[in-house]
Amino acid sequence: MLQIKNLQKSYNGVQVIDINQLTIPKGECFGLVGNNGAGKTTLFRLILDLIYANKSEVLINKEKVSRNDGWKKITGSFLDESHLIDFLTPEEYFSFIGKLHYKSKENITDFLELMKDFFNGDILETNKLLRDFSKGNQKKIGIAAALLGDPHLLILDEPFTGLDPSSQIRLKRFLVELQLRLNTTILISSHYLNHVTEVCQRIVVLEKGIIVKDLQTNDDTLMELKEYFEVLT
Amino acid sequence: MLILNIILHEWKKSIRGQGFYKSLVVNILLAIFAVSLAIVLLFIGYSLGGMLERLDNPLTPLQLMNGAMLYLMFLDLTIRFFMQQLNSFNLVPYQTLPIKRSALINLILLKPLINPLNYFTFFIIIPFAIQSVMHYYSFAVALQFVICLVLGTWFNSLLTAFLKRKYGADVLSFLFLFLLIALILWLEFKKHFSLFSLSLAVFKFIIFNPFGLLIPVSAVILAFYLNKWFFTQNYYPEQFKESHIGDKMFQSKLVFLNNFGAVGALISVYVKLIFRHKRTRSILYMSVFFLSYGLVIYTNDLFYTNDGLLYLVSVFITGMLTFMFGQWIICWDGSHFDNIMTQNISIRTYLNANYILLIIFDLICFLLTTPYLFLGIRLFYLHIAALIFNMGVNVYLLLLLSTLKNKSIELSKATTMNYQGTTYKSFLVVFSILLLPLFLMIFISRFTSVEVAIWILTFFGLSGIFMRKQLISICVQQFYKRKYLMARGFREGE
Repeated sequence: MLQIKNLQKSYNGVQVIDINQLTIPKGECFGLVGNNGAGKTTLFRLILDLIYANKSEVLINKEKVSRNDGWKKITGSFLDESHLIDFLTPEEYFSFIGKLHYKSKENITDFLELMKDFFNGDILETNKLLRDFSKGNQKKIGIAAALLGDPHLLILDEPFTGLDPSSQIRLKRFLVELQLRLNTTILISSHYLNHVTEVCQRIVVLEKGIIVKDLQTNDDTLMELKEYFEVLT
Repeated sequence: MLILNIILHEWKKSIRGQGFYKSLVVNILLAIFAVSLAIVLLFIGYSLGGMLERLDNPLTPLQLMNGAMLYLMFLDLTIRFFMQQLNSFNLVPYQTLPIKRSALINLILLKPLINPLNYFTFFIIIPFAIQSVMHYYSFAVALQFVICLVLGTWFNSLLTAFLKRKYGADVLSFLFLFLLIALILWLEFKKHFSLFSLSLAVFKFIIFNPFGLLIPVSAVILAFYLNKWFFTQNYYPEQFKESHIGDKMFQSKLVFLNNFGAVGALISVYVKLIFRHKRTRSILYMSVFFLSYGLVIYTNDLFYTNDGLLYLVSVFITGMLTFMFGQWIICWDGSHFDNIMTQNISIRTYLNANYILLIIFDLICFLLTTPYLFLGIRLFYLHIAALIFNMGVNVYLLLLLSTLKNKSIELSKATTMNYQGTTYKSFLVVFSILLLPLFLMIFISRFTSVEVAIWILTFFGLSGIFMRKQLISICVQQFYKRKYLMARGFREGE
């Protein structure tokens, strides 16, 4: 589904991403962990063609991402709540995103019905603009919008941060379901080691832009990760 | 001490802010503008006394000035109502610190008074005071006159702040003030009531009586406490928040846009963008107001007899909205640029939507200005030619140039005199858009005639309209080249 070969990015001569080879097969749930400044967000931005790579080969579905729009059809992503179109109401935002994916009004209504649980009644029919919502609720809106286009590849940057405990649990359940039901490939980054190990089949640890660990999740993974990050401090 | 600290913070904020040095060129241009304005005003002040002397009237210049004073203050109030910004000092970081609330409020209220813009009128007043007031009366009177006007400025500034906070600065309240002035003027001419003689009497007392200054002093104090009272009534910042519920009606009319797929969806987002931000709203209203400039220009003989000039003015007038908003396209998506770039919108569709938005602006301006055909059918033909040039040339230019900017625009803040997001590139855009037809016109008409030049420019426009596909492709290529730089600039701006 996603192939990265020879991806390099540096700012002012400092290498921030250097990945030789990374392949994520279809249907895998892939977790990215690493301390602040490890390059998680930079990697996601490179995958989504938002920043210029010094050297790169990023392929989504065997198509190059740079100077190409094809991957946008099958990729849903949410990086940061500050990038939402903040002068719209949630309904308007969903209908905008929906239209970009050729969804009918009924499709969107059905989708929002599915999301009702996740939204917990705080979001729809409030007649508020996105900028007036709390960060957590903005995050929920962004994540929901990323799901709206039935993506084959879903990219979420720190989806658990800023969510209340119930929503974190709901989101976890949601992602697992999504993967089972639609065989969606999921990429998430997180600081919550226990959440990632619960949701992801494969976990990669990034440090200063380099892959230092590539683990298939099993019962010992959480312990292993905890030990790794304890040593670092 | 505390106040000094906060002022220091504000100062640091302004010089450490993103792009202070980047916009150095803009600041220099603004400074040049300010100096030239000051010189013009000094000249006016210098000659004002003489001009008033020459009037066929037994009154001295100061008496004439005093009589007009209430009118001038009213006018000043109206202009301020439109132009003066509410002080948007960010209280929140200080609210939780052990600082007295009243100290913060005093700061909010008094800070605008040190804005140098307030005192530009004194470039007129001081020469006038020296020349005419001192000449007729004495130094003491002149001094009292100037002090009275300083107090008057403070009073107006404070009163404006209060009225704007209390009643909001929408177009309706502006209109109300305008009508009020019209009414008073009408009463004056019909001799039912003379504000002139009232003003004369009041200011005669203020300026000549040793205790006269007590009146403006108490007026300033009154205005200050009105503001204070407002803040005690509205204790929390959230009580100021504007609601958007009012535009519900308007949106239901936009449903037809749903039939145009992604382009329609983007355009309906832009329409909301324009109507839900103060800055864009006021630009919209102002542009429509500027359309009436044609009344002044077209009826002027100098212009009406010169087809070349008339054509250039038509280009400007039929392109008013396009030019105003064309400078902002793409960078007004700055805050959600990353989002748009990862949505299922191809770059081509994205640019197409922007292109069509600009075309719609052109058409709206064209339709709004059709009444000018009553000034002569020739104007109507010129407007059509100008419209074609705008649609076929200027729109693409704006689209191309918009990719040069990588600073996002803060849309929710303030209205006029807001230069946030203005860089030297904005001037570049405006100049190239305004100067291109001018140079082409001069160049072509030099070898042929004005009429031929207009035909050739129109031909350029037509070919631009027909070659839409190819020209948009060029814009797409340019966009790809600049995409990462833009995305980075917009992210930094946050």
